[in-house]
Order: sequence, then C-alpha cells, then structure tokens
Amino acid sequence: MSRVTVLGCQLVSIVVLLLAWEGAVRVGLADPLFIPKPSAVAAALGTSAGDVLPRLADTVLKTLLGYGGAVLLGVTAGLLLGSRPRLHEVAMPYVVALYGVPKVLVLPWIALILGIGLPTAVLSAGLFALFPIVLMVAAGTRDVDPTLIMVARSMGATRSAIARKVLLPAVLPSVLAGLRIGLIFALLGVLLAEMFAGNRGMGFHLQRLAMAFKAPELFAATAIVSILSVTVVLSLEHVNRRLGRWR
Amino acid sequence: MRVLVWRAAVLLGALVIWEVAARPLNPILYVAPSRLPAALMRMLSVKDLPPLPEHLWLTSKEVAAAYLLAVAAGLWFGFLLGLRRTLGRIYEPLLAALYAIPSVVWYPSLMLFFGLGPASKIAFGLLLGFFPIVLSVLAGIRQVPPLLVTVAVSMGARPGAVFRKVMLPAMASTMVGGLRSGLALSVVGVLVGEILGARSGIGYVINYAYGLLMTGEYVVLVVLIAAAVLALDGAGALLEARVRRWAG
Repeated sequence: MSRVTVLGCQLVSIVVLLLAWEGAVRVGLADPLFIPKPSAVAAALGTSAGDVLPRLADTVLKTLLGYGGAVLLGVTAGLLLGSRPRLHEVAMPYVVALYGVPKVLVLPWIALILGIGLPTAVLSAGLFALFPIVLMVAAGTRDVDPTLIMVARSMGATRSAIARKVLLPAVLPSVLAGLRIGLIFALLGVLLAEMFAGNRGMGFHLQRLAMAFKAPELFAATAIVSILSVTVVLSLEHVNRRLGRWR
Repeated sequence: MRVLVWRAAVLLGALVIWEVAARPLNPILYVAPSRLPAALMRMLSVKDLPPLPEHLWLTSKEVAAAYLLAVAAGLWFGFLLGLRRTLGRIYEPLLAALYAIPSVVWYPSLMLFFGLGPASKIAFGLLLGFFPIVLSVLAGIRQVPPLLVTVAVSMGARPGAVFRKVMLPAMASTMVGGLRSGLALSVVGVLVGEILGARSGIGYVINYAYGLLMTGEYVVLVVLIAAAVLALDGAGALLEARVRRWAG
C-alpha cells in the first residue's frame, strides 16, 4: 500500500466518522446537549475563534515558561545522573519514585501558596515536564558506548572535541525524545492547573464551557488545543528525523 | 550496602531540610514533617473529615473499573490493528497522533457527558490507561520474528498454538510494560477526575481537607496516596520481572 493510499484511507475514515456522528445526532441517537453535531462544532469554531485565541496564547506562554525551566534543570540533572554511576545508583530510585507519584496531588498545595495566577500554572508545567526529561536524558547518557569515548581519547581528541563530536550526537536522540515528551507534559500541567485553580487560559475556559453546557463551543475549543499539540509534536518528530540523518 | 546507606542519608537529609524550611513559616501553609503523626491521629480519630474507608473504597472501585475496561479495549484494538496489517498501517498513526494530545483536554467533555459522578472518572481513567496498552501491544507484535511464525505454521502448528508458543513469549515483556504503565495512568486519571470535581472518592477528601485549610491532614493524605500508588506500581514491577523471566 502506498503512502498516498494510506493517507486517503485515513481521510476517508475521518470523514465517514464525522458523517456518521452528524447523522446519529440528527436522527436522535445522541443528545445534542451533550454530543453536538460536527456541523455545530464547526460553526462554533468560527464564532468562538476570537474568544479562544487570546486564551490559547496565555496558556502557550505559561507552557513555554514552565517548559524552559524544566528543560534547563532536567537536561542538566539528566546529564549528571547519566554520567556519574555512583550518583545514579544513589539518586535514581528517588527520581523514578517522584516520576511515579501523581503530580496532581500537590496541585492544591501549589495553588494555596502561589494563588490562582500565572506562577501556579508555570510551576505545575515545570513539575509535570521535569521528570520525564530527567529520566530520558539520564538513560540516553548512560547508554553512550564508553569505547567510543576511549577510542576518541586515545586518538588524541580534546575534551571539548569529545563532547561535541562523540557525546552530543550520541546523547541527542534521547534528549530530543525527552524534550518532545516534556512539551506535552508541560502543556498538560498548565491546562490542569488552569482547570483546578485558574481564572484565565484554555484550561479554565474548557472547564467553564463544560459547566455552562456549551457543548459545541467546548468541542471546538478541545479541537483547537488538540490540533495545536498534534501539529507541534509531528513537526518535532520531523525535526528529529532530519537530525537523525545528520548523525 | 554503602549505596543503601547513602540512599537513607538522602532521604533523611530531605526530611531535615523540609523540617528546617517549614518551621519558621506559616504553619497553615507549610507543614513540617514532625507535625504529620499528630495530623494522622487526628484524621483517624476525630470526625472532622469525611469517612475515609468509604471514599477509599469508591476510588478503588473506580480505578478497577477504569483499568479493566482499558485492558479490554487496549488488547482488543491492539491485536486487531497489529494482526491486520492494512488496518494497522491506516489507524496506528491516528492513534499515535491522539496520544500526542495532553489528555486532560478531554476531561471537561467527559464531565459534561458523564456528569460529576464516578462515571466521568472511570471514563477518564479508561482513556488514559488505554493508550499505553494498545501501543505496547502494537510494538510487541512488531517484535515477533516473522520467520518463527512461518516455521511454526509450516510445521503444522495451529493458530492457537502459534499464538501461545511463538507470539506471546516474543511480545510478553513489551506488553506487560504497557499494562503496567496503563495501570499507573488509570490511577492518575481517576485521581485527576476526582480532584477536578467530585462529591466522593479520595480526591474529594483531598479537596475537602485543603479547602478547609486542614493542611496537615492534606499532606498526610498526599503522602499516603503517593505511597499506595508507588506500592501498586512496585507490585506491577515485580510481576513484570516475572513475566520477563518466563519469556526469556
């Protein structure tokens, strides 16, 4: 099957699904109060865009702030943990445990301390994004083949040359994988914080639309966030593949 | 041995830092660890919190329902898409794209549809648990060496025997890993749902304690739930190790 056929089948499936959905609501199989017609969602997409875009910008800004912090801290910690076996042995169980604890448990406390504004959402984003990044980078750094470094050193490479020519290309894929997952987690952290304790942003908006039973607007807003994150992730994967070729 | 000593020292150090940092601060907002035992006793004896066992039981039932549904749906879709190559090529990328969406955006829609009761929590736990399971089944099937299947079939093995003796051992460790992450995510889904809005369940108790500024009780609850989640995942890890040994 060629790529075009696959793509065609995917498109046809989505269209058929939307048509079936539209039909089901029209003949009364689903209650439009809870499951709006796709045509109504499309209409809401047009009318609510002006309402949604500033909130989306607000959410994206918080995500990037928290994500930036998590990347700085996470990549540093990951490189340290991955390159020092003793430290790895002592600290890793704690990192794994912290990764496993549901972050949502501390959200009430963060909101209590930092209030309902930007700091809570940014900290929540950083907290959600940090641990997957640390784990991925640490695993990638540990897996760098030591013989590669030994060979480079015995051939007289300087420390910085080893770092640039051997370590960087070897660690890069896991760092990028960590960064990609971290970005989704950061967005998740912001949305969750906004839903729990926010008065702005997409998470708050989604929650309020649900409370007000505005199903078409809710589905439209959900679709906008979904499309945004799928687009970002797919383009990061594209970049990843190109870098793969560079290596 | 020395590693264990170091680990204990790290834990102790963290507790000391927490204690020293929390002491001079506002005791309503910052709870020092030395105050936790008293809060635990208060929680168990005084009736200032909703009855804990009842809510804990409800949350456990929600998690069990969500996880069982996630396993059923994940295995079914995984084998359907993995064994029928054409379907897999068409729909696996769509699944992967859905997985790239931060799951919590779905929650308001689920809440609208299922209401504030347990159903919306089960649905969200199901949604979160489903993805790692279905993706791990797909990845597991890709790991089955086609040559082994061909050989087994040519030697007259029935489909059932091929599945049990060839495919399952080859995909077991990947699949069990997915089942384990699925359980962790089902728990997270139920907890998130309860904390975002519920009238019962352990997340509701957390919100209740925090809403009344009973921070000591809140911290005790968080520590206990975190420990329970880690214990559950630890049991999953043991099971995973056993399956890996079985699969070789």
